[in-house]
Amino acid sequence: MRTPKICILRIEGTNCELETSFAFTRLGASAEIVHLKQLTGAVNERERRNLKDYDLLVIPGGFSSGDYIRAGAILAARIKGALGAEIADFIENGSPILGICNGFQVLVEMGLLPGPSFGFAHEKGAIQRVALTTNDSARFECRPTFIKHENRGKCVFTGGIEKGSILKMPCAHAEGKFFIAEQEGEWGEVMEYIQLLEESDQIVFRYVDPEGNYAPYPWNPNGSVYNIAGICNPEGNILGLMPHPERAFYSFTDSEWSRRKRKGEGKKEDTCFGDGKKIFESVLNYISKKSYL
Amino acid sequence: MKRIEIRIRDAKEEELKRISDDMGLSLNLEEMKRIKRYFVAKKREPTDVELQSIAQAWSEHCCYKSSKRILQKFIFGIEAPQNMLVIKEDAGVVEFDEEHAYVVAFESHNHPSAVEPYGGAATGIGGIVRDVICMGAQPIALIDPLFFGQLSHPDEKLPVGIKHPRFLFNGVVSGIGDYGNRIGIPTCAGMVYFDDGYVGNCVVNVGCVGIMNKADLSRSWAKPGEVLVLVGGKTGRDGIHGVTFASVELTGEEESRSAVQVGDPITKEPLMHAISEANELGLISGMKDLGGGGLSCAVSEMSHAGGCGADVHLERVKLKEEGLDGWEIWVSESQERFLIAVSGDNVEGLLAIFDKWDIDAVVIGQTFKKRPQVRIFYEGERIFELDTDFLVACPIHERPKEIRKKEEEEVSIEEPKDYNEVLTWLLAAPNITSRESIIRQYDHEVRASTVLKPMQGVIGKQTHGDAAVIKPLEESYKGLAITSDVNPSFCKLNPFWGAASAIDEVCRNLTAVGAVPHSLADCLNFGNPEKPDRMGDFYECCRGLGYMASSLGVPFVSGNVSFYNESAAMDESIPPTPAVLGIGICEDGRECITVDVKEADGNLLYVMGETKAELGGSEYYRLRHVEGGIVPRTEPEVLMQSMNALREAMQAGLIASCHDLSEGGLGVAVCEMLLGGDIGASIDLAGVKPELRSDYKLFSESNTRWVVEVWREEKRRFEDWLKERKVYVTKIGETVGEKRVGICDGKKELVEISLEEVREAWGGEIC
Repeated sequence: MRTPKICILRIEGTNCELETSFAFTRLGASAEIVHLKQLTGAVNERERRNLKDYDLLVIPGGFSSGDYIRAGAILAARIKGALGAEIADFIENGSPILGICNGFQVLVEMGLLPGPSFGFAHEKGAIQRVALTTNDSARFECRPTFIKHENRGKCVFTGGIEKGSILKMPCAHAEGKFFIAEQEGEWGEVMEYIQLLEESDQIVFRYVDPEGNYAPYPWNPNGSVYNIAGICNPEGNILGLMPHPERAFYSFTDSEWSRRKRKGEGKKEDTCFGDGKKIFESVLNYISKKSYL
Repeated sequence: MKRIEIRIRDAKEEELKRISDDMGLSLNLEEMKRIKRYFVAKKREPTDVELQSIAQAWSEHCCYKSSKRILQKFIFGIEAPQNMLVIKEDAGVVEFDEEHAYVVAFESHNHPSAVEPYGGAATGIGGIVRDVICMGAQPIALIDPLFFGQLSHPDEKLPVGIKHPRFLFNGVVSGIGDYGNRIGIPTCAGMVYFDDGYVGNCVVNVGCVGIMNKADLSRSWAKPGEVLVLVGGKTGRDGIHGVTFASVELTGEEESRSAVQVGDPITKEPLMHAISEANELGLISGMKDLGGGGLSCAVSEMSHAGGCGADVHLERVKLKEEGLDGWEIWVSESQERFLIAVSGDNVEGLLAIFDKWDIDAVVIGQTFKKRPQVRIFYEGERIFELDTDFLVACPIHERPKEIRKKEEEEVSIEEPKDYNEVLTWLLAAPNITSRESIIRQYDHEVRASTVLKPMQGVIGKQTHGDAAVIKPLEESYKGLAITSDVNPSFCKLNPFWGAASAIDEVCRNLTAVGAVPHSLADCLNFGNPEKPDRMGDFYECCRGLGYMASSLGVPFVSGNVSFYNESAAMDESIPPTPAVLGIGICEDGRECITVDVKEADGNLLYVMGETKAELGGSEYYRLRHVEGGIVPRTEPEVLMQSMNALREAMQAGLIASCHDLSEGGLGVAVCEMLLGGDIGASIDLAGVKPELRSDYKLFSESNTRWVVEVWREEKRRFEDWLKERKVYVTKIGETVGEKRVGICDGKKELVEISLEEVREAWGGEIC
C-alpha cells in the first residue's frame, strides 16, 4: 500500500509544524512541512508542491502572521485568496483537513467549520455565526485539559476512539472560546444552533473534568459555549480542535506522567503513548481505507 | 546626508566632556582623551559616526570594562570536558552527546524593561534567542528570572518618574508571553522575586537554551574576501543608544523610551527557519546577531575576529523610515536582524532562501585582507574609517572597591505562639505563593518536548517543580534539566555566601529532578560600578560564584554583566543580584523525579542535609520584620556528596518525590509537595537538629537540603544507602490518609491545618 502523504502547512508564525509532522512520521506516514507559497506557486519549480498530491492537509498551531488582527484571520484570507479552488476540490474528494489550535481558528475563519453544508449556513444566509474568541480569563492559557469524545461516528479523525471516552491533552491559546452569535439576541438561538450541530454529529470533543463531568474553568479553559473543544463539518472529513494532540503523542509529555508509574514503567509498549496518538492513528486508518477503495 | 566632523583634536578637557554629554556617548574624560590621541595621530577630525561607534564599542554593556578583570579571575576558565566554545561568543556551546551540542545564553534587559516593560521584556527575549540562533542552534527553551518591588508598594511613596511595580510586572509578563508564545519556543523556567530594593530599577533577565548538530556550529567572524549580508527586520530609530543607556543610571526621563527597541516576533519566527535552512546547506561562513551597538558592533567584531577589514555601504540598508542619519543607521539596535558573512558563490543561494521566507536580505558590504579597518560609505562618500584594533580594544578599568567587613550576627526573636498562622502567612508571602497565574500565560510545552513542566502534580492541584526538563532530540530520551535561581536577600547581607547559595540552590534544583549539573550561566545585576561599595559587592559575589563552581567542577559557559541598576530618584542600588542559570543532564527524561508526593498513607518523608540556625535573609525573618542574621553557608564537598547519593537513590528507584528546601524552609517545602500530590502528612521535627528551636527547624533556609518521599517498602534500603554514603538524613514523618498537615516537635504540637487551608494560603494571586 502507498504511504499516506501529509501536507503540514506553514507560513510565518505557525510554530507547531515540526512536532505535528513527527506525530505522523512516527506512525509511518510521510509528512512534509510545506510553505503556503509552495502551494500557490510563488517559488522556484523545484520547491513547487500541489495540494492534490497529498492525502491530508494539516493547519498546525501557532500564531500565523502574528494573529494581530484576529486569531487565524490572516492565514484564512491568504488560503482562500490563493488556494480556494484547490481546497474546494480537496474537500470534495473526501480528503481530510485537520486544524489544531490556530488551525481550528483558521478553519472557522474560512467558513469550513461548521461548514458550508451545515444547516444554518443555508437557512440564515452566508453569515458565519461561530467564532473562536478571547478566553474568558482574558489571558493565554497553557494547561492540561480533559476532553470527552462525543462523536457518533462521522468524524474520520476519531474512528478509533470510543464514544464517551476521555482524552487528556494540553491546550495553549488566548483565543479559544467557541462562541455562537445570537442573531436576535436570544439564548434560545444558540441552543438551537448547538442542537443542529448535535443532530448532524458535528460535535467531536467537549471539555470535562477528570471525572468526566462538563465543568467550568479551569476545566473549560476558555469559557467555550457547551464546553466545545472540537467540531467537524457535516461530512466528517474536516476537524478543528483547540487542544494539541501532537503534544500528547507520548506519555512522557503528559502533565502528570510521573505520578502513575514507578521508575521505568512508562517505557512499556502499552504505557508509553498519550491520548493524542489516537487521533493521528484514526485518520491514517481512514486514509488507507479510502485509498484502498 | 552630510559628512559631519567633530572638532576634537584641539578640544580642552571640559569640551571633551561636553562632546560626550551632548552626543550621548556616556564616555568619561580618560576615554575621550584616548580618542583624541588617536585622531591627533591620524591627523584628522573624527566624524559623528566614528565617535558614536567608538562609544558603542567602549560601553560598559559591550566591553565589560569594569568587570572583565574580576570575571577573568573568578568566573572564566573553569575547565570541563564538555566545554566546546564557552564565554568567548554570544552564547556558550556545550557537548550534549556525540553528535550534538547545546547552547546557553543569559542576559539582562533591565533598563529597557524599567522604562517600557512590555517592549523591553519582549525584545529581551528577542535578543537572547538571536544569540542562540547565531551559533547555528535551534532555540528550545526560554528562562526568565524577574525581580520587582513589592506589588503592594504604596503609590504615594513612589518617586516621580518611577513606574509602579505592578505596572512593570504586568507589562513584563505579557511582553514575555506575547513574544515567546509567538515564536514558538517554550518558556519553561524562571523565577519571580519581590523586594523593595527593585522599586527604582526592576531586573528582567532572560535565558535561552538551544540544540544543534556539532557540525552546524557557526562562528561570529568574517573571513577576508567574504560578502556581508544584512538579513531580517528593517532598521529604524528604535533602540538608538540602547547600550549607552544601559551603561548609566536610570534618570526617569521619558526620552529614554527611544532607547527601547520594538520587537517583531513574526519576523523572528520565519527568520529562525531561514537561517537554519541556510546554515544546514552550509551557505553561512559566519554570523552575528545585531544586538547592543547594532551594525557598528557586529561589523567590527566579526571582521576583527576574522582578522580582516570591511567596507560597508550604508545606503543599502533597508530603513523603516526616511531621514535617518548615517550614525543612526550604524548604531541602531532595531530588532530581528543578523549579519551574515558568506562566500561570493553562495550569495545567490542565500538570498533565495530569505526571499522564499519573505524576509529582507541585502548585501551591504564585503571584507578584505589588506588592512584591519572598517570603512563606511554613504552614496560613495567615506564617512568612517577606523582600525578595528583600536575600536575593539576598549579601556579596562580597575575600579576602586570597598568590601564590607561587618560580620553578620544572629538576631534573637521570640518563638511564635501560633505556628498555624506563621505557616499560612509564609505560604502566602509574595516570594513563596503560587506562580501558576504567570506560568500558565507562557506556552511552556510548544515543540512537544517539555518532559517535566514548571507545574507538577495532580492536574488541577499542581505545585511548582524544581526544574523543567526538555527532551531536545526526537531520536533520544536524553534530557536537559533547566532552572534559574538566586536569593537577593542573602546577597544583600553577605554577597559572597549569597552568591555561593545561588549555585547551591541551582544544583539542588537540578538534582531534585534527577539531573547531573552540567553547565552554568550567570547574569550579574548590580548598581553603579563607579561607587566602591557596589563594586565591592560585585567582587564578592563573583568570588562566591567562582568558589562554588570551580569546587564543583561545573563551568560557567556564558553570562552577562548589568551595572548601573539604580535610579537617581531612589538613590540606592538594587540588591546584588547574581542570577544563575543551571543546566543539568538527565540520561533518560522518562526517569525524572517530580516534587509532588505520590502515595498517601504510609510513604516516608525524610529531610536530607543538615539544618542550621541560618535565618539571615530568610522569608521567615522578612515576615517577622527582622533585618540581619546569619546567611546560609555551603560546603561544595558536602553538596557534591549529597547530590551523588541522592541521584543514586533515585536511580535505584527508592525515591517517589523530591523537593529542594529554599524560601520558607522545611515547612513550606513539605506543604508544596503535599499540595501537588493532594495528600496529607504527619511530621515530627524531633530528629532534626535537636538543639534548635522549633521555628528555626521549620523555617531555616540552610543550603544543601531536600525533602524526599521514600516508597514505604524501601525504608531500610534507603536508610542504609545514605548511611553508607555518609549523608546526613533524618526521617521527619509519613504521608497519611486524611488531607491534613500536622507538624509537631516531639511532644510540642506546632501545626494542624487542612490541606485545603494550605492551598488557600498558597494558591491565591500574587499581591
